[in-house]
Amino acid sequence: MERSKGRYAEALKLVRKILTQLKEVWQYSDSQPTEITLAGALAVLFPIATYLEIGYAPIIQLPAIAAGLYQLYCVSGDCINCRVRASFITFCFYAVGAVLYLYKGYYWQGASYWGWILLTFSSFGSLKRIKKEQLHRNNG
Amino acid sequence: MDNTTQIVITAITLLGSAGIWKYAEARLRVKAELKKEEKSASDTVLYRDDLKKRVEEMDVALKEANKELLALTEKVAKLETENTFLRREIDILKSK
Repeated sequence: MERSKGRYAEALKLVRKILTQLKEVWQYSDSQPTEITLAGALAVLFPIATYLEIGYAPIIQLPAIAAGLYQLYCVSGDCINCRVRASFITFCFYAVGAVLYLYKGYYWQGASYWGWILLTFSSFGSLKRIKKEQLHRNNG
Repeated sequence: MDNTTQIVITAITLLGSAGIWKYAEARLRVKAELKKEEKSASDTVLYRDDLKKRVEEMDVALKEANKELLALTEKVAKLETENTFLRREIDILKSK
């Protein structure tokens, strides 16, 4: 009984440690690769997917290409203010996409559509990381 | 989906996203400020600042001491020269 309690406590400790480390990595790791992926997906995947599944929506699809390219430009320039701005725009587009899919009721048709929610969370996480970096740089 | 619906959904989502981000941004700012205050009040930072101050003071003192040393060396050189001349004069006077 005592032995199993000890094992349980150890396992709990390990899980807590892993979760803390994952949280640290999520909050402070380099976000450029994520930004590039999100920007590429926004410029290419987003317009195509929404066109095929939702229909022609020029007020969302055309600016999405520009927003994706703008974020790629910002990441390449390494200007932190530009990156924060571009990441916010990207987050907004993914949020709009996620809400459009919700409006259409696709989330109850297949789990693969939940990827839009994942992308929204990912872009929000990326935005938070860059903002933290900006605050860190400003505070010295 | 018609254009009006698209515009309405986009506008509402944009406003919602902006609101969420404003809230998150404010929280991040407050956290960063707290962290900065904690950092500036910690013992390690105070000790480091004290050390920096002491090093600066010692640097100033060292420069002043160097100046004084230089002035003293100059005086000693002058006195040595005077002394040499005086000895010579004493020798001349003695020989007379």
